[in-house]
Amino acid sequence: MEITLTHYLLLAMTVFLTGMVGFVVRRNAIVMLMCVELMLSSVNIVFAAYSRFHANADGHVFVLMNFAVAAAEAAIGLAILVEIFRRRRTVNVDDLKALME
Amino acid sequence: MNELIVPNLSSQWGALLPYLIVAVGGLLVMVVDSFVRTLKKDHLSYLTMFILICVVIVQIVGRRTDGDLLGGMMITGDFTRFFNYLFAGIGVMTTIFATGLYDREGRYRPEFYPLLLFSILGMMILVAANDLLTIFLGLETMSLATYILVGGVRGNIRSSEAGFKYLILGGFSSAFLLMGMALIYGFAGGTGFADIAHAMKTQNPDVLIVGLGSALMLVGFGFKVAMVPFHMWTPDVYDGAPTYVTGFMATAIKAAAFAILVRFVILMQPQLAFAWYPVLVALTILTMSFGNLVALAQSNIKRMLAWSSVAHAGYLLLGVVTLISPSVGGSDMMMRSQEIGESAGAAILFYLVGYALMNLAAFGIINVMNHKSGEDAVDINRYAGLSRRQPLAAATLGIALLSLAGIPPFVGFMAKFYLFSAVVRAGLIPLAVIGVINSLISVYYYLRVLVVMYMKEPEDTSYHGTELVSVVTSGVLALLVIWLGVMPDAFHRAALVIFRQIHF
Repeated sequence: MEITLTHYLLLAMTVFLTGMVGFVVRRNAIVMLMCVELMLSSVNIVFAAYSRFHANADGHVFVLMNFAVAAAEAAIGLAILVEIFRRRRTVNVDDLKALME
Repeated sequence: MNELIVPNLSSQWGALLPYLIVAVGGLLVMVVDSFVRTLKKDHLSYLTMFILICVVIVQIVGRRTDGDLLGGMMITGDFTRFFNYLFAGIGVMTTIFATGLYDREGRYRPEFYPLLLFSILGMMILVAANDLLTIFLGLETMSLATYILVGGVRGNIRSSEAGFKYLILGGFSSAFLLMGMALIYGFAGGTGFADIAHAMKTQNPDVLIVGLGSALMLVGFGFKVAMVPFHMWTPDVYDGAPTYVTGFMATAIKAAAFAILVRFVILMQPQLAFAWYPVLVALTILTMSFGNLVALAQSNIKRMLAWSSVAHAGYLLLGVVTLISPSVGGSDMMMRSQEIGESAGAAILFYLVGYALMNLAAFGIINVMNHKSGEDAVDINRYAGLSRRQPLAAATLGIALLSLAGIPPFVGFMAKFYLFSAVVRAGLIPLAVIGVINSLISVYYYLRVLVVMYMKEPEDTSYHGTELVSVVTSGVLALLVIWLGVMPDAFHRAALVIFRQIHF
């Protein structure tokens, strides 16, 4: 069987939806961060596949930038989480109630 | 972008200078903070203001080299200069409001200034974007810096939680935005706006991939502008963030997001006008109504202003909807419909400036109230009798709130007037009616604060205390609110000229 663009897109959509469902279902903040990373990675698959399909480098450039931004976002997220964990001793988002009215 | 382009940089220095000043300035503030030990606390804020004022000066006196920059990645012109002035102004105001923060929090927080500059840099890049990649990088530069501004007050659990909430939902929404960009790239075969516009003209845009792509990108932008149903972060984040950061977010981020949203919908108009127009209209109505109705029930002034900012996002979306309404036509616009599009665009620009002025004035006063009482001054009832203790602060907050409610002679009224008249001219009369009903509802919750300030006796628990510099700055902003409300014509004409440039 030949692997075509459609297969890559289906794979990417599966990974994206996995991340999305995980984000909605899981309550552990670190797992939620991981799910966001999963969604960002699935976007990379789409960009890489289309880059190959269109035979130009735009998509590849996007993938590299995406890696850098995703890493920066994870770093900031974990830093804030450490600060929250020091106070609350938990990373469960249901326990983050300081802002509830 | 297929062939290797070596941009002719020497001719582009002039146009790049504002961006370079902010970028290098941000780094400079960091270095100065680390290495100059004899610094007084205020010096960093003077340096930050100096950098932002430099941007304004460079833009005024510099040679105007408009057009593509860096091989088509960015585009500069009156539109970007307009927003750069706005961001620099908001940045200076935020710096003034933030400078007193050491006294309250008892802690030196120097990272605020470089982060503010980097956030502004991201906004400037975002507005100048002429490529999906530039949109992404600008948006993330802006957002990443703002996440830390919101969540970076150490030892304050409310700030940390707000920051985390903003970050995790922001990451979630940028995943949608990116997926949308990927699909549009797949459709167009390039990430430049020129590639996309070309593909829109030559290929059939009514296909699943571009429909899905533009919808996902709208979700991403909708999150940043707090469009219902992507607004859930707004009250919590606005409430938990330090007040000066809330003011910055409510004005600058909203302006940047709307600037790029306007350019995006114009670019994707042939597709959006047909497939997503009804959805956008529905979301606009929901955004206005939901924001105003929930704001009615708030007793916390920061949350109230957060919901009011959702409602104002709805009014601004009215302008966006008008811009792409089928009556305004496709890329081959007729003369009359182009005029309507221009008046809607100019109304958005006018609204953004007016909204920035009145919101900054309001948050400036709320920030001062925080200042002396040592806790967040968010309870509306404890503003009782402010008019007797601090007439200037009360008058400024009053003017800002009346202007937000859209009462003449303030700028909020003129902004709504221009916006609704553009909507009416496009033939969308039901939408205009809903908008007017909404602004009538909003009068109630803005006036409630005024009643508390002016009609009630001060109590022991009432907020008090002044920090003169911030109050006077807010007062000046309030004067601008009146001035722009009384004499809006010149500015509105300028907005028309500016907007005409981005109709491509």
